[in-house]
Amino acid sequence: MRNFLRVTAALVRDTFREAFARLVFWAFYTLSTLVIVFFLFLLKIDMVEGARATISVFGQGSNRARDVQDVITIFQAGTATFLYTWGMAIAVFASAGLISCMFEAGRIELLLSKPVGRAHLLLGRYLGTLLVVTLNICYLVVGVWIILGWKAGVWKAAFLWTIPATVFLFAILLSVIVLLSVLFENAALSIMVSFALMVLSPILAQTKLAERLLSAQWSRSLWKALYHIFPKGYDIGKMTLEIVRGRTVESFLPIWSSALFAVVVLGLSLRVFSRKDY
Amino acid sequence: MTPAIETRQVTKIFRTRWRRKEIRAVDGVSLRVEPGVIYGLLGPNGAGKTTFVKMLLSVVRPTSGNARVFGCDVSISWARDKIGYLPENHRFPTHLTGAEMLDFYAALSGMRTGERRRRIAELLDALDLSRWAGVRLKRYSKGMLQRLGLAQALMHSPSLLILDEPSDGVDPVGRLRIREILKELEARGVTIFINSHLLNEVEQLCRQVAILDRGRVVLTGKVSELTSGQSYCLRSPNVPEQLAETVKARASGFAATDGMYEFHFLDRNSANAAVDLLRGQGCVIDSLLRTRSTLEEVFMRTLNA
Repeated sequence: MRNFLRVTAALVRDTFREAFARLVFWAFYTLSTLVIVFFLFLLKIDMVEGARATISVFGQGSNRARDVQDVITIFQAGTATFLYTWGMAIAVFASAGLISCMFEAGRIELLLSKPVGRAHLLLGRYLGTLLVVTLNICYLVVGVWIILGWKAGVWKAAFLWTIPATVFLFAILLSVIVLLSVLFENAALSIMVSFALMVLSPILAQTKLAERLLSAQWSRSLWKALYHIFPKGYDIGKMTLEIVRGRTVESFLPIWSSALFAVVVLGLSLRVFSRKDY
Repeated sequence: MTPAIETRQVTKIFRTRWRRKEIRAVDGVSLRVEPGVIYGLLGPNGAGKTTFVKMLLSVVRPTSGNARVFGCDVSISWARDKIGYLPENHRFPTHLTGAEMLDFYAALSGMRTGERRRRIAELLDALDLSRWAGVRLKRYSKGMLQRLGLAQALMHSPSLLILDEPSDGVDPVGRLRIREILKELEARGVTIFINSHLLNEVEQLCRQVAILDRGRVVLTGKVSELTSGQSYCLRSPNVPEQLAETVKARASGFAATDGMYEFHFLDRNSANAAVDLLRGQGCVIDSLLRTRSTLEEVFMRTLNA
């Protein structure tokens, strides 16, 4: 067990070292820092009449006082949306190379020659990459949460649900990156397919619209099937915003089905990797 | 005694993407390497040497047959616990320093932190890389990377060392140091399996060799036996030109300096026939010596056969 943990720690540590040796990860953290700086220095919240506040950005703002709870919810939802779209895109872009470089000729042979199971090697890298991105997400979300809480005196813990939700979506996309890297050892292809899944998600989520627009039964069934098969990033994002806004979530099905997708894809990656010659 | 390496009819067939064509990279190779020896695997390019080595490490899965290291099936991950490996075209992560790289691979071998620190200092010192311990690998020369690669393979004090072209890109001084280290390891009972193109180096280091050609073992044996008494050198002065041409036609090699003719023969019969010819024409035989073949000669002879 100790040996297992030692090897896992080594794989995670190596992923961190490699991530921070790459410029794209520093860009990722710089972007998060810029968002934090925006909330820290450029956003001004003036409390008036107790539960109401006026907002100014870059020194420009309206004098109309708003409910402070609403103000904080808007900013938190905005941050969550930013993280879920741009943050995710950068995370995918940054981490695809981190997975595929493991399979470079001359490097993979040495890794495989060590007394470590192939599944352990792959999952160690997966975990390391996930932790690097999780760290950045935590840095951004907790940073924004503390600044907004400190400026407005409103500590809405629901915003912190953005962390597991975003990490969860990234974990799904990372499983796709892992599968494609194992199959084709190509970072560019992994990025393209992951982006395609992100774009596809809000389109497939329009099931009611598809019901109306598609005339043939088979096409409607195909749409539904695709919606159920592929990860539901859009639905999970909507759920996160509902939680941030303090509303109740009706169904957790998108989470379970997306988790199943990730497990199947990751399982497939492990199977292919365990049988592949290098 | 359990052999360090034992393969039984190991075969690897690669198939092209759409499975239209089969490439038999390794074809029924059975080898037995006893513990504590330095064993060389030779062969021309594309003979299947690297594929064979990769099968010993389970990097490539055999199509049929099996490979064992110290009695353990190599497909079991902990069987590789006893193996140190230096790949041919290694690509070490350049974001790491020399010490970090050694630490990472040693941790994968299950070494504890304190033990790793001690070994890193020890091996960097032995391979004259101590000054470079904290420098990123992208600044290392090819020879330095090769020496560091060897240190990586030695980190966990393996019982079996598999080296694919160990002195590739290393300068003569570094090469000598590597040879010394390998001899020291042999003295300590470590089995060393070398895959190399440098026949001279293999001859100096290895006790036993196997020659692989088109995926098959075409020759195995002790280096001392393979290279001893294989050819003959006949020296005779002032041989008439026409006779010299006749003898030369039967010889594997020929040289003439200051009226002294030197003929080389690969077997005893050819040497005897030449002696008869020369003596028949009244020529003087200065000397007839049984010479040692170089491994290169053995190699070429085997492949030509």
